[in-house]
Amino acid sequence: MTATTRTALQIRIEAFTFHGENTPVLSGAAISVTPGSLTAVLGGSGSGKSTLGKLMAGWLRAGYAGAFRGSLELEGTLLEFHGAPDDPRINPAEWSSRVAFVPQDAAAMLSSVRATVAEELAFGLENRATPRDDMLRAVERTAARTGLSDLLDRDPATLSGGELRRLAVGCAVIAEPDVLILDEPLASLDAAGAAQVEDLVRSLRGTGTGVVLLSQAADRLAGEATHWTVLDGGTVTAAGTPAQLAGSAELERAGVIGVGGPGVGGPGVSGPGVLGPGVAAGARGPAINDEILSPVPVAAPGPGPASLELRGVGFGYGPDPRHRGAPAQARVLHDVDFAVDPGEIIAVTGPNGAGKSTLLRHFNGLLRPSEGDVRVCGRSIAGVPVGTVAASMGLLFQHPRDQLFERTVLREAAFGLRQLVGKAEAEDRARAALAAVGLSGTEAAHPAELSASRQRLLALATVLARDPAVLALDEPTVGLDRHGLEALRSAVVRAAARGAAVVMVTHDLAYARMNAHRVLELNDGRLREV
Amino acid sequence: MTSRLHPFTALTAAASAAVVTTAAAYWPLSVAAALAAVFLAVRRGVAGRVLPAAAVILTPLCLSLLVLHGLFFPEGQTVLAQWGPARVTAEGLGFALELGTRTTACVLVFLLFSFTVSVPDLVSALAGSRIPPQFGFVLASTLTLLPAVAVRLDQIRRAQETRGMVVGRGLLSRLGTLRLQMVPLVLALIDDAGSRAQALDARGFGSPGPRTSYREVADPPAQRRFRAVALVLAAAAVAGRIVASWPAGAPS
Repeated sequence: MTATTRTALQIRIEAFTFHGENTPVLSGAAISVTPGSLTAVLGGSGSGKSTLGKLMAGWLRAGYAGAFRGSLELEGTLLEFHGAPDDPRINPAEWSSRVAFVPQDAAAMLSSVRATVAEELAFGLENRATPRDDMLRAVERTAARTGLSDLLDRDPATLSGGELRRLAVGCAVIAEPDVLILDEPLASLDAAGAAQVEDLVRSLRGTGTGVVLLSQAADRLAGEATHWTVLDGGTVTAAGTPAQLAGSAELERAGVIGVGGPGVGGPGVSGPGVLGPGVAAGARGPAINDEILSPVPVAAPGPGPASLELRGVGFGYGPDPRHRGAPAQARVLHDVDFAVDPGEIIAVTGPNGAGKSTLLRHFNGLLRPSEGDVRVCGRSIAGVPVGTVAASMGLLFQHPRDQLFERTVLREAAFGLRQLVGKAEAEDRARAALAAVGLSGTEAAHPAELSASRQRLLALATVLARDPAVLALDEPTVGLDRHGLEALRSAVVRAAARGAAVVMVTHDLAYARMNAHRVLELNDGRLREV
Repeated sequence: MTSRLHPFTALTAAASAAVVTTAAAYWPLSVAAALAAVFLAVRRGVAGRVLPAAAVILTPLCLSLLVLHGLFFPEGQTVLAQWGPARVTAEGLGFALELGTRTTACVLVFLLFSFTVSVPDLVSALAGSRIPPQFGFVLASTLTLLPAVAVRLDQIRRAQETRGMVVGRGLLSRLGTLRLQMVPLVLALIDDAGSRAQALDARGFGSPGPRTSYREVADPPAQRRFRAVALVLAAAAVAGRIVASWPAGAPS
């Protein structure tokens, strides 16, 4: 029984401060991991979860990345850090073979120079000079474990979000580490993808791997944890079993989603839809509470044309230019007809890979239909440049990194506004949009420095600032903590109230039902009302 | 599709072609090499990517050659036209043609190589040779950089268009929008590199010591022989060039 009580990894943080900064990002935190356990570190956006995970895994190294005071203990070996030059040095390769980390952005885990899933899995073993026969066996074993056996010959660049996440986990566990740290492993996965990752975590724990889950949602996976630690503002504010902490004030303050207790909401736990009244109460003042508790106001369609109309739209991607002789891919959209009136909020749901993002890209002309017509505010956009359609159509991309490109938050929100509203008003508009999503005070920061949740809110601000007639939002809830979801919801409701049509694409049916006037499902390229 | 070329075979062929055309300094040969590269690019289905890339590199280069040597060539005797100090001479034009076609051939040949080589095969082949693995990765990253830059530029353009930037059809409009994309592109690439570096370190990429390779690249004997012949040919061309220019270049 000693195996279950022995500590595999322990971290004690007095303070960790990035070079060039004055205040520590982490202080007063301690986590210990035992073999086969699941430890959940819960906290809102910007709470320091990712920094903690990277510090535990040797991705951020004391001395290189910042000043660390505290200690790390791995399998009985204690390393003390005093923020001094003679502190012990960690060899990231050695450390990672014992403590593996999978970042929030799974693609960042990949070498990007390997042609197939199998070779990507083997990359870490190649670097450790593992004999080829052992490598073949390890790849086969890891693929079976992560459900990648049928995908071994695929190009990693063609994987879906869920497959990519499993590949990243596979790359991390192929060296059989004692501890695995997962940063938001369920973000942007549909129910099927989430279930696969949950199964994988269970199987890893079954073989003795200690798993640390970094998450801003107290979802089903977190509910299985043996221990919860609440991180808020870089400090541990509460720790205990899920039963002790469910519904606690510390979780609420930290901005964790789905705090009703373990199991609440299941995998679709990402929206106000699963926030019980008790959660919203006292969260952010009466205005937002009222909005969250009341159903979305019903739109009164005006007499004018629909804000957005699709007539018989069909679309299929051409053959992949990277693979010569590849056949044209199956059609993504078939005969899609739908219209959105001013003030109406529509949700489009469907599994990962159903073509939801493809549909959205037709709205402003980034993709052009093979047949049929797209009309914005009563006018066909065929042949109209995307930049011109943008005056009445605001598109939020699925990944904030696809949307953000400027060097400061303010420049980002103000891009393109001058041409739209003139120089005098542009900056005011940008600042107002930033305030609307709760990003006031970050104007001078670089967008890449923001937490994932804040990056998404910034991307939303760039859309809101343009005040378009149609808002098209691709998976707007992914990665948002509770404060972020509140900001999103109030922004959408306000936009609809002033007459904008809103189309949001989400894999989260519960959120869609709660927040839209109509819910449509995209499946097999066809749209139908749910 | 015929059997795959070993990456070293393709690399040797490209390098030898470049060396031979440079050493020969004979514009019909340069033109022939350039045309052969274009023909192969069309056959391999990469012309759509090779030719625009070549145009971006070669258009400014050839224009500057034309201006520099076509208009101002001190040794020029046969004057075709004259505006003040600028003289168009037959010799100048000939020199510009010589240099231009030679450069064109080299650029096309290497672009053809970089757009057709299987980067994973190349990295694997390098790992199998005695070259340090980091060098192989740097080379592979450089080769994958062009496509990565193209993808990233496309993302930035889409993001900017979505926020009201109109990309016109004219060259000036395109250049104007490209100017807006350069800083974001560089910053994004640096950011990507930073986040990937941590992952590479964690996966043992930085560790010294031997490595193994999961991928196996076939290297048939016929290709080895071809490489030897191509290298000998290139060396002979260089030697021939040195011998041919020796008496003329040596002080009498």
